[in-house]
Amino acid sequence: MAHALRDKAAISGVGETAYTRGTQKSGLALQLEASLAAIADAGLNPRDIDGVIPYFPGGAVAEDFVANLGLPDLALSAFVPMGGATCVAALQAAAMAVATGVCKHVLISVGRTGYSGARASERLLQFPVFAQAGEFEAPIGIFAPAQLYAPGARRHMELYGTTIRHFAEVAVVTRRHALLNGNVVMNKPLTVEEHHASRMIADPFRLFDCSLESDGGAALVVSAADRARDLRKAVVTVMGVAEGHPDSPASIAQRPDILEFGLAKAAPRAYAMAGVGPKDMDLAEIYDCFTFTVINQLELLGFCKKGEGGPFVMDGRIALGGELPLNTHGGLLSQGHVVGLNHVIELTRQLRREAGKAQVTDAELGLVTGYGDMGDGSVAILRRAA
Amino acid sequence: MSDAAPQRPLPTPTRESRPYWEAMHEGRFSLQHCAACGKVRHYPKPVCPHCFSMESEWREAPLGGQVHSWTVCHHPFNFFFKQAAPYVVALVDMDAGVRVNAPLRGVSENDLRIGLEVRLAFEPATKEVTLPYFVAGSTAD
Repeated sequence: MAHALRDKAAISGVGETAYTRGTQKSGLALQLEASLAAIADAGLNPRDIDGVIPYFPGGAVAEDFVANLGLPDLALSAFVPMGGATCVAALQAAAMAVATGVCKHVLISVGRTGYSGARASERLLQFPVFAQAGEFEAPIGIFAPAQLYAPGARRHMELYGTTIRHFAEVAVVTRRHALLNGNVVMNKPLTVEEHHASRMIADPFRLFDCSLESDGGAALVVSAADRARDLRKAVVTVMGVAEGHPDSPASIAQRPDILEFGLAKAAPRAYAMAGVGPKDMDLAEIYDCFTFTVINQLELLGFCKKGEGGPFVMDGRIALGGELPLNTHGGLLSQGHVVGLNHVIELTRQLRREAGKAQVTDAELGLVTGYGDMGDGSVAILRRAA
Repeated sequence: MSDAAPQRPLPTPTRESRPYWEAMHEGRFSLQHCAACGKVRHYPKPVCPHCFSMESEWREAPLGGQVHSWTVCHHPFNFFFKQAAPYVVALVDMDAGVRVNAPLRGVSENDLRIGLEVRLAFEPATKEVTLPYFVAGSTAD
């Protein structure tokens, strides 16, 4: 029997602000601007929204949406505090809410002033889960995501022979895709040589292995699938969705295997819900806080075996026209950092066939991941409804 | 931005972790062990995840370990560390059965490898707080 949540929820509207480095707008204003765009894209009125899941910690609470959009009867206010895994995990929470009838239309939103406001190492300390890392690791000089995730990348290189050439391939292909999208921060080509020559941040991560600190907002509306059929856009349903939490969630250092994290638990559940596997995907939008993170997730998602993620990304496989086009919008590495909500938006657009120059021909089925909070993972499988 | 010298981030001991920092201050590496099943746990926490006992005791632990992985920090995300950069931070499998993340001193980048034998040492950061670091070599002094 099909899973009770399979295809019961749809992404009915998506919206984004401009992605920039520099803004006068607050994080809340960016969220609201993107939210209004997503609601209009769905063909809804803001007052139709009865559930709100704002990114946390992001400076906004559901009450801000009641106050600004005049929501008459908010039925669900929730946070999903999973760092970069938040947006896709929030999709699971929203899908449950609309599938059960608790809500009709749930808004998921992110607004971030990552360039003009607080930077990553400062933002991290606002995360409750970082309390122990803050106590035991910050004093010895480890507090930014690049520093926390670098030992995993180094271990992968030492154990499996993964190289910076593999890292560069992810960066260069992602940039090539970004150049096809009109709304990106990084709008000039990137070569393998430029990647290798970029300054070292936290070995083995160079500058161009790291995602952007940018300003921007993104939002989407999740509606019950049967309601979405009456709305404006082609229906894209949530076929499978899952979140996963690693062992030793509050410390990478104490995790038995530092290359195994929440996605390893989430992926089999999402595939089981959807009734499909990695080979069925037409494309994938993979959370790319770092180039290596993409390689690591491809393994945990079963696209290749453990240790083979480096060679897997080579030879055009992850580029448009390849076997598994990845991050067709430019990702966090080149488009902008809105905690991966842009990945969900891009997959939705691809399945609606609205992806412009980056359109994957006849895209029917795709996968999107979230990764963050020191190893939480989330994955959603979306499909274009028949 | 203020002109004040950047402050070193320091641990704020909790009710669970205070014994760890007190021992470190005395130059001892002490770890929390379950009083019921005897298993070690780090970072300190109220419940044993193996047997769910809330009783624990602190035991002095051996200082040796092997490098599990590492990073070399070049960009000082906190400007306190600007002078020290680039600095090596090693993630070490301690002989005591837990991991410790701490700076590794006196080893060149080219000599870093998984399994390298290191030993934990103690460095006062302030009058109240002592922090760990690693040096190369086995525990036999």
